[in-house]
Amino acid sequence: MTQPMVRLSGLYKIFGARDKDVLQHAKGGMGKEELLAQHGHVLGLNNINVDMQAGEITVVMGLSGSGKSTLIRHLNRLIEPTAGEIIVQGEDVMQLSEDGLRHARQEKMSMVFQKFALLPHKTVLKNAGMPLSVRGEDEATCDREAAKWLDRVGLSGFENHYPAQLSGGMQQRVGIARALTANTPIMLMDEAFSALDPLIRTDMQDLLLELQKELHKTIIFITHDLDEALKLADHLVILKDGFVVQQGEPQHILLNPNDPYIEDFVSDINRARVLRVRSIMTPLDGGQVPEDAHGEVDVNDTLESMIARSGGDTSHAYVVKDGEKTVGSLDMTELVRALVPRVASEAGARQS
Amino acid sequence: MAFYDKLFSALGLSEWCGTSDDKAPLSLADLAAQAGGEEASEPLIPIPSFDNLHESCNRIWQSRDVTNGIEEGFLAAKPVLKTVLDPITQPLSWILDGALWLFEATPWFIMVPLLVAISWYASRSRPVTIFVAASIMMLALVDHYDVAMQTLSIVFVCTTISVLFGVPIGIAMSKSDRLQKGVVPLLDLLQTLPTFVYLIPLIFLFSVTESKLYGIAIILYAIVPVIRLTDLGIRLVDRDVIEAANAFGMKDRQKLMRVQLPLALPNIMAGINQTIMMSLAMVVIASLVSAPGLGVNVLRGIRNLELGVGIVAGIGIVLLAVILDRVSKAALTRVDKTQVKH
Repeated sequence: MTQPMVRLSGLYKIFGARDKDVLQHAKGGMGKEELLAQHGHVLGLNNINVDMQAGEITVVMGLSGSGKSTLIRHLNRLIEPTAGEIIVQGEDVMQLSEDGLRHARQEKMSMVFQKFALLPHKTVLKNAGMPLSVRGEDEATCDREAAKWLDRVGLSGFENHYPAQLSGGMQQRVGIARALTANTPIMLMDEAFSALDPLIRTDMQDLLLELQKELHKTIIFITHDLDEALKLADHLVILKDGFVVQQGEPQHILLNPNDPYIEDFVSDINRARVLRVRSIMTPLDGGQVPEDAHGEVDVNDTLESMIARSGGDTSHAYVVKDGEKTVGSLDMTELVRALVPRVASEAGARQS
Repeated sequence: MAFYDKLFSALGLSEWCGTSDDKAPLSLADLAAQAGGEEASEPLIPIPSFDNLHESCNRIWQSRDVTNGIEEGFLAAKPVLKTVLDPITQPLSWILDGALWLFEATPWFIMVPLLVAISWYASRSRPVTIFVAASIMMLALVDHYDVAMQTLSIVFVCTTISVLFGVPIGIAMSKSDRLQKGVVPLLDLLQTLPTFVYLIPLIFLFSVTESKLYGIAIILYAIVPVIRLTDLGIRLVDRDVIEAANAFGMKDRQKLMRVQLPLALPNIMAGINQTIMMSLAMVVIASLVSAPGLGVNVLRGIRNLELGVGIVAGIGIVLLAVILDRVSKAALTRVDKTQVKH
């Protein structure tokens, strides 16, 4: 596998005056609550090891207090870690000088914030052009680039408005345009859509996916919303109390939760809409496709669309295609079984 | 037999105190008591003041020694202070005198339109501009134009200098909690010390004939709000925006010029408004130490009980205050409007 874009290894963050002294207790396996009770220090991050691949959206999900916002701020060292390594494009961020760090923030990583954090006294155009003007680019370049990205996020015509004159969704579009204008390979998105109402949020998620299809940035996205995480993630990292509970391909986590905490999360979502054919099909492995197949389906179809297609008939079976290639088969009975979360099925087993 | 004798003998300090042969009266009350042959009526337990303790123990100061000590200490330090402060503050005299000359030498038919134009430029408000024009003409009508201009020139110079020093001090305070902890009590002191008290040490230090004397008094008094509100304004800047500035790699200087100062501007402007008002208040008191302007007429009104003179000058000051306040407030709201919080 190629070198990851961002690698976090053995990352610890302890909030408090004597964080370095308390570190050994955390390394010794002391949990968040014990550490707070016995030493009065808050364990923010506990031995984080995550690789973030270039061109992928890595979603870090967790409830509030799980350390996800702390985690994302370590990548550009808005928060200093207590211990651990942060490697970005093969370069140790911890070793950077003040100038080097500023340079990395300007050229490598841009950030989108939950509360937008636009400059209220500047127009939308100047806000979007801010990352370039910070680097010392001339005004014409800044304005041209800013206008280009504003247009790309659907805000052309609003260049001379002030942020306060725009709705929340539009302000966050400015925030995204600002991050895009920076033209950095990495984008950090800290609960970028959490402050928006559900419909606008869906719009923004679609916008992000559409942009990503074209730009192939390395995006680190923080959210507390599992639906959002599943929709966006190529790689999903689930945080709880500062440590990684499970990480991997979202479909895989959904089907194989390894912790009651994740099972709780997972049991609430609409599995038919999230799960895809590829996750539950029977791989071909040189075998034969079923003779009585009712048709061909794509690996990335959702189960919901399959149910609609079969008319709810569980006796149907389909041939699964990835592009032109036949990759497996899908039995509708399997599909229905996959719709039941694991926790619920275990509970059912206990009752009988 | 004084009340605290026993205390000192109990502490074994009688020797140290020495005996008091001195029967000279300490106060007028004592003198009266001696003359009348009666004991001055004392409370059961006299308050443990220096004077009362001194009666029992000669080694203890009398209260008048404290005030004497301060005075002597100050006089001893005066030569050094004067050699240091005199040259440093000399430019202030030149600026004040220069501004005074400029305001007086400019003919009224240039000055008045200029002031009206400035208030229009600052406030962009028609009622405010009309009010300014009417007020100045009213002052001119009762022959107070010259003194009003003198006052205005002093306020102008002192406010400008206060802003030039106050804003950087406020910025420095907002950057360092330690500096803030040190400076705030000093600002409290400057603001609460009775205004006349400034003048006494200044009179010792500088010659009354020099204009920097009142200049310093006014600036010390008026600089406080602009420092306070600059510090406050920068500290109140939205932390999310500061974080964004950091995340995009702004240098400290860029952060200050592009984010902190612009976002703190409404607060800084409010501070400047207060500074103008306070220097106007002080300029009247400063007339005691030869500051020219409307204050001189107020002083004449008090000194000679010339009711009319005092009241006309007083109203003139009110008019100037309202002019300066409205113009700076209108400028403030104009700044505020362009940056409604999101």
